[in-house]
Amino acid sequence: MVPVPWVYYNAAAGSLIPERKFSVFFNISGVQLPGLPTHTRPPCVRLAVAAVVVAVVTLVFPTPADAYIGPGAGFAVLGSFAVIFVTMILAGVSLLIWPFRMTWRAIRRRISHSRTKPLIKRLIVVGFDGQEPRITERMMAEGRLPNFTALAEKGGYSRLRSTFPSITPVAWSSFTTGTNPGKHNIFDFLDRDPRTYLPRLSSTEIGSVNRELKLGKLRIPLAKPSIRLLRKSKPFWTILGEHNIWSTIIRVPITFPPDKFYGAQLSAMCTPDLLGTQGTFLLFTTRPEGGAFQEGGLRFELSANGSKDSFEGTIEGPENSFFEGNPPMTLPLKIDLDRAANRALVSVNGESVDLEPGELSDWVKLSFKAIPGMKVRGISRMMIIEMGEHVSLYISPINIEPDKPVMPISHPSYYSSYLEKKLGPYATLGLAEDTWALNEKVTDDRTFMTQTNDIDDEREEMLFTALDRLRKGLLVTVFDATDRVNHMFWRYIEDGHPAAAGIDEPEYANAIEEQYLRNDEIVGKVMKRLGDGDVLWVMSDHGCTSFRRGVNLNAWLLEHGYLALKDGADGTEEWLQSVDWSKTKAYAVGLVGIFLNIKGREVEGIVEEGEEVEALKTELKAQLDGLRDDEKSEVAINEAFDTDLLYRGPYKGNAPDLLMGYNHGYRISWDCAGGVVAGAVFDDNTKAWSGDHIVDPRLVPGVFLANHPIDAQDPGIVDLDPTALTLFGLRAPAHMEGSPIVETDRFKK
Amino acid sequence: MFGYTKVKLETSMVDKIKRYAEIAGYSSPEEFITHALEKELALLEDADSEEEIKKRLQGLGYMS
Repeated sequence: MVPVPWVYYNAAAGSLIPERKFSVFFNISGVQLPGLPTHTRPPCVRLAVAAVVVAVVTLVFPTPADAYIGPGAGFAVLGSFAVIFVTMILAGVSLLIWPFRMTWRAIRRRISHSRTKPLIKRLIVVGFDGQEPRITERMMAEGRLPNFTALAEKGGYSRLRSTFPSITPVAWSSFTTGTNPGKHNIFDFLDRDPRTYLPRLSSTEIGSVNRELKLGKLRIPLAKPSIRLLRKSKPFWTILGEHNIWSTIIRVPITFPPDKFYGAQLSAMCTPDLLGTQGTFLLFTTRPEGGAFQEGGLRFELSANGSKDSFEGTIEGPENSFFEGNPPMTLPLKIDLDRAANRALVSVNGESVDLEPGELSDWVKLSFKAIPGMKVRGISRMMIIEMGEHVSLYISPINIEPDKPVMPISHPSYYSSYLEKKLGPYATLGLAEDTWALNEKVTDDRTFMTQTNDIDDEREEMLFTALDRLRKGLLVTVFDATDRVNHMFWRYIEDGHPAAAGIDEPEYANAIEEQYLRNDEIVGKVMKRLGDGDVLWVMSDHGCTSFRRGVNLNAWLLEHGYLALKDGADGTEEWLQSVDWSKTKAYAVGLVGIFLNIKGREVEGIVEEGEEVEALKTELKAQLDGLRDDEKSEVAINEAFDTDLLYRGPYKGNAPDLLMGYNHGYRISWDCAGGVVAGAVFDDNTKAWSGDHIVDPRLVPGVFLANHPIDAQDPGIVDLDPTALTLFGLRAPAHMEGSPIVETDRFKK
Repeated sequence: MFGYTKVKLETSMVDKIKRYAEIAGYSSPEEFITHALEKELALLEDADSEEEIKKRLQGLGYMS
């Protein structure tokens, strides 16, 4: 394999060479090649030399290699025998000094242990994202969750106070850091750019490569794109690591790119797919309706290939930033039907997948060629939706392949590959369950549940693989399925839900309860593996409630004169493009609240800092507190919270100015989330996504169970870090909030 | 991409940063310095294009 700069990541993993050491020898930004001292050559000569070396090596040795890919980020590329040479030398050195490193590590550990006196051996945290206490408590009372009940009887059960807002990225970030959002900087899934008023992902920033070498149509990036985690503060497993306590952290949300610490980590929520999106499914179809879906998903034409039983299309993969205009990398796709046997053979990448209509394939590897010698790998699942008069093929979002990931999805970098070797391919996308395809009715309940259950199985294997290897330290594994099933199947458990019209699959009427039964089984299996000195926590970050009605806050702001449209605009444009900012005092971006258009903060701000801001907040709050949906005669918003009073910490200025505490049944509308101002303030939610938790956090606490008593009266998710540190004999640092939820005397023998 | 580099600061400045980092709620002096620099850089950097932003958010279930 010809290494390219990105390969240092994999090569380092395989040869135990840290990334930093490698970059000393092969620094692309500085084009510092061995034998070519940079100070003796002007930059243009250095670039030319580097380019020639790259071109020759990549063309002469066109074996597959890894690459970096991301939207607009570009590839980092250069290859050289020097890299192999240096890698081998470093590997040799690494092996030679291995005994000394191990000895030094043992000494440090001994010193550290003499300073800290852990009260426990292992802390095992099993997270079920979104597990709702009302359902949990009812099922426990009915005797249907025997392991939950046994755990509660042995130790304790409590509802767990969530964060404001009660959404996954915020709550798990508070779990991770033991701080309120004002200190960890995650206030929503989305942030807004005050320079453009456009939303952006709040947790990750993927930079682009600005320096590149042009060789005809070919462009060679001369720097590595930056990928930054925007969650701030310090994870408690980093603190444990500083005291030589090992942690394995599996799929805790908002861990992309992964932290570096003494332990292993697999990234989760907000890890993109191979297209750089949060999950875009593909639909190949012979149906004439063209164009993109209303939201998400890409539709491609499937054309007859000289026969009524043979079709072909082209999979458009990630952008190829080696070429002008970033054209997509492509893969030809062929479908041959055997109508008599009711089967289809899908050929891609020289491999064939035999599919029965309506059945999801296993993971299929997709390998896109960027330039000779460089491939970008993904995995996807396929399903023939129909093969009658028309033929349609669903392809799930293309996940980053865990064996040779093109982005950093684990720490150490080889951990994702290790898991792949042990368990086979697995989902790596942040929100891996394809809720969009179900919302668009491209897939159905059955397909969604198959996907979700399979991902849950993958996660369970990861949990037990890690648990069986952990002798001392921390293990956290988060299962996402409960949250996704709550979201997509709430329509089955609530009479009169607008999204329930037309559902006729009684098989899934109990999908939510079945998920909770499944969780109970997992807890039972973990309990059987507990030994002396082991602590088990089972928890959720928030609960779930109904999402019957959407609230378009921007429509409300328009109606009440706080937001204005440009002359002639009707407000139907997305992303607030029709807003006249020179006359707008407040606007909603993201999912949880309202921003004021503040002078000096927003690019076209008009509200003066100080008294005017305070007066406007008070005025808005007075009108939004208890806002009624007259059509349904219900309260839609319980309370609008002033985030200046809610949060503490250096980042609270990034929060929305007002946070909406919606009542049961209400949430921000789909239109408002997309920046559409037009339409009614309230509308029915008819999508399969029928449950939600973006409501008043007091309505949707999480659950918490432990195999020890819970001494705190009202435990919150922010209390868990100081508790964990205390159990490991450490004192919580000053920036951390919350208090231990259990008396440590209980653990002293 | 993921590496770190060292920057020299006056000792008296670092002492101040250490003191105020804790008061302000940062987990470390490094976090304090990074945040201060990020705020300054945000004033200089270009915003992402609308197309780029749309693409990155595509597929986020809460918005569809």
